[in-house]
Amino acid sequence: MRDKRLRNVQYMMLFVNIVAVLFPASLICFTTQKVCSFFHARSFIGKLDALPVHPTVILLECIALTSCIVVSFVLREFVFTQRKYFVYLSLCFDFVISIYLMVLLNFNYNGILFWVFANIIYHVQDRVKLIFVLLAICIYVGTNQEFLMINYRLYSMNDYIDYYNASIQKYMLGGYNVLISFNIIIFIVFCIYVIQKQQNIIEQVNSLYKQLSEKNGELENANEELKQLADLKEKMGQTKERNRLAREIHDTLGHTLTGISAGVDACLTMIDRDPQATKKQLELISKVTRDGIGEVRCSVNELRPDALERLNLEEAVRNMIADMKAVSKAEVIFVCEPARLQCDEDEENTIYRIVQESLTNALRHGKADKIWVDIRKRDSVVHLRIRDNGCGCKEMKRGFGTTHMQERIHMLHGTIRFNGENGFVVEADIPVRWGKEEQV
Amino acid sequence: MKRTRIHISKKRLFLTLILAGCMGCMVMYWKQKSEPVVLELGIFAGSNWDVANANSYVIVDKVIARFEAEHPGVKVHYYSGIQKEDYSEWYAQQVMQGKTPDVAMILAVDFDKLAALGILENLDGMEAQDKEFRKADFYPTALQSGKYNGSQYALPYETVPTLMFVNKSLLNHEGFMVPESDWTWEEMYDICSKVTRDLDGDGVLDQFGTYNYGWLEAAYSNNVKLFEEDGSMANFTDQNVTGAVKFAKRLSDLNQGQKVTQDEFDAGCVAFMPLSFANYRTYKTYPYKIKKYTTFKWDCIALPSGENGDNCSQLDTLLMGISKQSRHKELSWELLKMFTYDEEVQMDIFRYSQGASVLRAVTNSKEAEAILAEDMDDREQVINNTLLDMVIEQGIVAPHFNGYNETMAYAEGEVDKILSEDKNVESTLKIIQRNVNTMLKQ
Repeated sequence: MRDKRLRNVQYMMLFVNIVAVLFPASLICFTTQKVCSFFHARSFIGKLDALPVHPTVILLECIALTSCIVVSFVLREFVFTQRKYFVYLSLCFDFVISIYLMVLLNFNYNGILFWVFANIIYHVQDRVKLIFVLLAICIYVGTNQEFLMINYRLYSMNDYIDYYNASIQKYMLGGYNVLISFNIIIFIVFCIYVIQKQQNIIEQVNSLYKQLSEKNGELENANEELKQLADLKEKMGQTKERNRLAREIHDTLGHTLTGISAGVDACLTMIDRDPQATKKQLELISKVTRDGIGEVRCSVNELRPDALERLNLEEAVRNMIADMKAVSKAEVIFVCEPARLQCDEDEENTIYRIVQESLTNALRHGKADKIWVDIRKRDSVVHLRIRDNGCGCKEMKRGFGTTHMQERIHMLHGTIRFNGENGFVVEADIPVRWGKEEQV
Repeated sequence: MKRTRIHISKKRLFLTLILAGCMGCMVMYWKQKSEPVVLELGIFAGSNWDVANANSYVIVDKVIARFEAEHPGVKVHYYSGIQKEDYSEWYAQQVMQGKTPDVAMILAVDFDKLAALGILENLDGMEAQDKEFRKADFYPTALQSGKYNGSQYALPYETVPTLMFVNKSLLNHEGFMVPESDWTWEEMYDICSKVTRDLDGDGVLDQFGTYNYGWLEAAYSNNVKLFEEDGSMANFTDQNVTGAVKFAKRLSDLNQGQKVTQDEFDAGCVAFMPLSFANYRTYKTYPYKIKKYTTFKWDCIALPSGENGDNCSQLDTLLMGISKQSRHKELSWELLKMFTYDEEVQMDIFRYSQGASVLRAVTNSKEAEAILAEDMDDREQVINNTLLDMVIEQGIVAPHFNGYNETMAYAEGEVDKILSEDKNVESTLKIIQRNVNTMLKQ
């Protein structure tokens, strides 16, 4: 948190100020001793406009006061860093001490103000920093010794420097002026550091805000996309539903109508020869028709085959096969392992519809008279195999039925294969979610 | 757990610091209270008037003894053995080191600087507060010498007017009486022109009218004010100044370019010489009267008055002041008052010193007159109180402003050139006036 460079600037400034305070005090003290020991006192004070009351006491007081400032700095920066009231108290204390120091030195050095104000600027709120910088400059200008000398009698360090010979004077004055300028430069650097630090924080906040608003924009876009997707999905759902209805119509009506047409054909051939059998046959056709009507109703009511509603999958398939056998001469061999196959509704629907479609195809296209239906479940995959001994087909023509079958299987992430080389074989693997076989 | 411990130690540290500060202040306060009050007194040995003085510390010791008796628990301390010529330096050193004596004698040459530097306490307030103190008891001229910028920074302790030394033997020999005290320039010129002559006929003058009487002495007695009180302007072109310079030139012309020396004066070959009252008293009384001016009879009168002036002369005053840094100002004021305002002490000035009292009542007293007469031969004409009172009352006090000594030294040098180099008086004075004004403005 605390910048190490800033800390170094602080140390440097403290050091410069201690030297700059103690230099005039010790110069005056030392020069006084020298003047007295050479018996130049009368001619020396003859050139002065004012002189300090007690040079030794001034030096001692300066040492004591600078020590106070150092102690206040250490307590503020290293001991009571978290105590806000102490920090402010010590800043006030520093200000009072610095005023006292300046008065003590008769404003020969007033750069100590920069030390005080640097600390104030470092510690106060961001907004008032600039006010304090201006205040520091105003007080610094206002406490300029030459300016104050217009109205007040102040002793001047330069009078004491004048006592020495020209070459020493040059070094003393030059050195001291460099020190004073250095102090001002450090103050400026310090202010720049502090303000820069503050600027950095502002920039960080700004960039965070920018990031936030960017993210907000992205979120809005995503929301928009989601909305579009939802619309699309709705449309897709509608399409799906339409497809399903089409499938249902094909599956149920097609199946029933095929059965009826086959049964009616049989009746036509039989009616003259055996009207009694024809009657029976017609009753059967009537039943198939009623079943078909029921299924259509079910489809319209959106759901599954009526049989599946009432019975489990195996029984529903058996029922369907029995119906099929009743209206056609074909022989259907049905194997189901395990006997009570437990699947989810959509899986059951799919299996039922594929069996139904395959049987319809075998009768309608293959003219088969023997059909094998195998349903086996292994490792949570249902293997479905429907084979007939019909004419098959050399080249697969994708009809509405097979496409539907594929769609249904894909929806369950399963696979389906058709083979028409030797009779017609439909093989499908359907992963089922209901993994466990129910105990019988 | 650790945090709490640090917290306590911080508090303890803070309290310890505050406690230590309070203790320090209390110790210092007690120490200061328990110490006895010591007033530092700055004085020098010998006379302020550069005459021999065997009784340097008599008055001071008497005053201190009385003061300490009147103020129990107060001590007055002074460094003995500081000569007058070292006193300025000593005092300046004390000032520089912050050890300015509470009460000190202030030499006239230092007064302006010390008042300007703010080393001396402004006495106006103390004077106003003290009901027993009346300024009117002092000679206004003596009081004037302790004023700076309209305020009283020092009180006069002892004063010395300038008198005219008259060689009675010479005048009698030339057929003149000693002039009255209200004599004029013309009377003086008349005598001088007659006594200035070649006695042995070798073509070289060997008897003279005046020695050391210059244009400044003439100017003082011609109602001249060379500078404005605040030093803002000089008045060298004043017709009284011109008159004084011309008179001095006439006198010096009598000597035909010959320079009169102290030796000729001591040998009794000169009729008049300005002489301080201190010198008068020293060499008129035993034991010093046997040292000087023994070959002729002499006396002192006032200086001659000019065309527009009185019988005035310069008044030198020894001042005493209080340090602004003194921590016992009331006691210092009491001590200062005892030195300057106490009639008994002031009477001692006539007894043990060579000056005159700054209090009118003392200088005019019968006792003072008796003291003055005490050591003199009965045949000698004693300078009487009336004359002394008059010359002090009319005394001219040098103005106090920064740079007075420097400008005056320049002006004196330049005017002396008029006398010696025979320059035109009016035009030279105009040049001097201009230059002095420039100097004053700097």
